[in-house]
Amino acid sequence: MASSAHTRPLSEVEIRVKALESLLVEKGLIDLAAVDALIDKYEHKVGPRNGARVVARAWVDPAYKARLLSHGTEAIAELGYTGMQGEDMVVVENTPEVHNVLVCTLCSCYPWPTLGLPPVWYKSAPYRSRVVIDPRGVLQEFGLQLPESTEVRVWDSTSEVRYMVLPERPPGTEHLSEDELAALVTRDAMIGVTKVSA
Amino acid sequence: MAITAAQALAASASDGGSTRLEVDVAPRFAAGDRIRTRNINPRGHTRLPLYLRNCVGVVAADLGVFVFPDTHAHGGDQKPQHVYSVHFSAKDVWGREGGERDTLVVDMWDDYMDPA
Amino acid sequence: MNGVHDLGGSDGHGPINPEPNEPVFHAEWEKRVFGMFLPVAACGYFNLDEFRHAIERMGAPSYLNTSYYEHWLHAFETLLVEKGALSAAELAARQQQIAEEAR
Repeated sequence: MASSAHTRPLSEVEIRVKALESLLVEKGLIDLAAVDALIDKYEHKVGPRNGARVVARAWVDPAYKARLLSHGTEAIAELGYTGMQGEDMVVVENTPEVHNVLVCTLCSCYPWPTLGLPPVWYKSAPYRSRVVIDPRGVLQEFGLQLPESTEVRVWDSTSEVRYMVLPERPPGTEHLSEDELAALVTRDAMIGVTKVSA
Repeated sequence: MAITAAQALAASASDGGSTRLEVDVAPRFAAGDRIRTRNINPRGHTRLPLYLRNCVGVVAADLGVFVFPDTHAHGGDQKPQHVYSVHFSAKDVWGREGGERDTLVVDMWDDYMDPA
Repeated sequence: MNGVHDLGGSDGHGPINPEPNEPVFHAEWEKRVFGMFLPVAACGYFNLDEFRHAIERMGAPSYLNTSYYEHWLHAFETLLVEKGALSAAELAARQQQIAEEAR
């Protein structure tokens, strides 16, 4: 990155970012070490692997699952996942009868401590506009065809409560350890646009 | 003064960003209540989506007292009030295009609703 | 406000196209904008609702034609100038200076 930065002109947005950052540093409003630390944390340490640990624990420990569904924030904090954009967590369980899927039609609200920062498609107009009016069509775009008998529940995150889906444990995984189960769990399944497969 | 890296990491792991308020405000609704969302069209900020104006739903849960974004975004008045998880039938919201069995679950502040 | 950000139920935005193996950030400048959020918010010039509303106020064409972290950048610039932390003139002057140095 550093070498290529010298061989091409800066884009307009790069110029705007550098200008803003340098002025904020000069005025003593931000410390670049704090900016760097946050980038490192959310690029390397926070992500859907956290949520996958929560899901796997719920699959192997019925008491934990009960706490997770009744007191999401506290149960997730038991595994060490807390903080920004996860201050008030509600976990919703997918079953053969009810399939939950998450969206934020107004901006891009997303549970950062368990799922990390959201993918571009989650933040973009096509998904945000359509999943509330045609959830089954959207799920088909992700390769998920649900039976007509399943109720689809679309959770539109308008408030500061953040949601996460507890996917169904796939059949044939009875012999797997908690770690092996966690490795199966995907980000998309915890948003509710796919299921977990073994 | 600028926060340090250690302060930033601690803040990012804390619940300091929560807009939940530990204040005693009487709820206007309870689980099971039928509500109708208000037909409001403010020029400023709101978290009541266009597609859910003037819709009938059922309160599923009281999520507690939170800052009200419509005032908080304009001058910072917190106007503390309850937020509820409200279920709307997709048929009621979208008419014949709505899925027969499908549901929209959306968080609603007291000021967005009237009894139905 | 009844802005274009309020997308639920609207048509014509095209297919979803998820990116396989998507990285957390797509460019170095996106990281800088993300990393700035908490330190800037901690300065107390604005709350999260004001931040969201600054994005809503950017106007429909800009909102739909720019990326998520450009929305954030726009909100920082707008609010920090409106609240008096920076002036529009000093921001423009610094942008010009950086553009000239990079040539």
